[in-house]
Amino acid sequence: MRRLAAGLAILTAIAVTGVAAQQKIARRIPIAPDASIRIQNLPGTTRVIGWDLDTIAVTGSAPAGTTFYMGGAGRVAKLGLESDEKTGFVPGTGLLEVRVPRGARVWVKSAVGSIEVEGLSGEVDVASASGSIRITGSLRLVTAETMEGDLEVSGGSQLVRVRTGNGKIVLFRPTGDLTASTVAGPVQLLDAQPASARIETVSGAVTYDGTLDRRASLEIQTHSGEVDLRLPPSVSAEFDLYSVGGTVLVALSPKGPAPKAAKGKPQFFTAGGGGANVVVRSFKGNIRLQGRD
Amino acid sequence: MTCAELRARLDAYARDALSRSEASRFEEHLNGCAECQAFLEAAEPRLARTESLARQIEPAPDLWPGIRSRLLPRGAGSRRRFLVPAWMLAAAAVLIVALSSGVTFFLSRGPASGPAASASIRAAELEAQYASAAADLALALEAARTRLAPATVATIERNLAVIDSALAESRRALAGDPGNATLEQLVVAAWRQKVEFLRRATALTTEL
Repeated sequence: MRRLAAGLAILTAIAVTGVAAQQKIARRIPIAPDASIRIQNLPGTTRVIGWDLDTIAVTGSAPAGTTFYMGGAGRVAKLGLESDEKTGFVPGTGLLEVRVPRGARVWVKSAVGSIEVEGLSGEVDVASASGSIRITGSLRLVTAETMEGDLEVSGGSQLVRVRTGNGKIVLFRPTGDLTASTVAGPVQLLDAQPASARIETVSGAVTYDGTLDRRASLEIQTHSGEVDLRLPPSVSAEFDLYSVGGTVLVALSPKGPAPKAAKGKPQFFTAGGGGANVVVRSFKGNIRLQGRD
Repeated sequence: MTCAELRARLDAYARDALSRSEASRFEEHLNGCAECQAFLEAAEPRLARTESLARQIEPAPDLWPGIRSRLLPRGAGSRRRFLVPAWMLAAAAVLIVALSSGVTFFLSRGPASGPAASASIRAAELEAQYASAAADLALALEAARTRLAPATVATIERNLAVIDSALAESRRALAGDPGNATLEQLVVAAWRQKVEFLRRATALTTEL
C-alpha cells in the first residue's frame, strides 16, 4: 500500500519540462536521506555524486531530441532524459550531473553514455548497453552491468556484483564480497583483499594482485582465459588449481623450490599453514601463481 | 548460414516467410548442426504457444502512451522499421518478464549438494535446465531484437558466439571423458554464462 501511495505521489508530483536544443538543466527537489532514486539517461553521460544535503540537485544539458523530466516526493524520485518521439536523439550527447543524499539507493540506466558514481554509501544499481561505468566509494551494495563498456569499481564496498560481455572489469582495493563475470572481457583485481571473490569468464583473462586473509575465499573459473595470481609469498592458503588442457605454473616463493609447471594435472597444496581457500578451474587457460612484494 | 543467422530466421522459417533459397540454406545448416536441432526442438513448444496467442491485443488506453514511447525509434533521428507484429512483441514482453523471474529463481537456487555418486546426474539435470532456459530466453530475445540498436545486436551475437564455442568445446571433451567432474562443472558453468548473458540481453529489450 505504501509503495502504491509512493507511486501515486510520483505520478502526481512529476513535472515534465520540455527543453529546446542543448538547453541547460538546473533543478532541485527535497528528498529523504535514504530515498530510492531512478535515473535514466539513454544518450548521454551521467554523473551521480553523493552529498550531505537531503536534496536532489540536477545540472547539465539536454541535447536536441530529448526531454528532461524530474519528479518525486518523500522517499522516491525519478529523473532523466527521454527521447522525443519524432526526432530521436544523437547518441553520446547530453550530460546529467546529479547530486543525491549519500545514503540513497540509486538506479541508473544508460544506452550509450558513460555512468560515474562517487561519494555514496548506500546502494547503486547501474546498467549501460555500451557505455563505460565507474564507481568510487564504500557502498553497501554495488550492482553494475554493461554489455561492452568497461567497468571500474574502486573502494571497499560490502557487496559488489559486476558483469560485462566483452568490456574490461577493474576492481581496485576490493575488501568485501564480490562476484565478477565477463564473456570475453578481462577481469583485474588490483591491491585486492576481499572477504570472498568469485570470478567467472569464458575467454577473458583474470588477474588477481593482492593478498588474502586467513578466512578469505577466492574462486576463479574460465574456459580459455588465462589466470594470473600474484600473492605475497607469506600467504596462508590452501590452493586447488586445475586446467584441463592448460598449464599450471606455481612460483609463489622466490626462496622456495624451483617453479613447477604441470599440464593437465590438478595442483593441490598448502602454503603458510593454510587458512584461505583458493580454487581455480579452467578448461584450457594457463594458470600462474606468482609471489608479489 | 551460421548458427546465429539460423536462429535469427527461426521465426520467419516457422511462418514460412523465407525465400526458397534462404529456406534451403536454413535446412541445410539445420541438418548438419546438432546444436541448432536441439535449439529448434526446445523452441518448438514455445513457438506453438506463441502461435496460439491472440493476433491482436488492445492495451488499456491509459497504458498506451507509455508503451508507445518505448516502441518509438531510437538513434540519430531515423525511424525504425518494425518487422515483428505487435502481438508478437506483446507476447515477447510477457515471456521476458516470466522468464526473467523464472531464470532468476532458477539461478539463485544454485547447485544442490549431495553424495558424489549423484553428482553426474545432478550435472546432467542442471545442464538440461540451463539448456531449456537458454532456449526460452533466446526465443524471447529473437522476438524483441528489433527494439535494440544494430550495434548492440552485433555485440550480443559476438558474445553468444564466444559462449557457444566454449560450450561446444567443453561438451565435446565431456563426451570423450564422461563422468569427469571438472568437465561437468565447466559445462554447467558455460551454460550458466549463456543463460545469464541471455537474461541480461533480454532485459535490455525492455529497459532501454
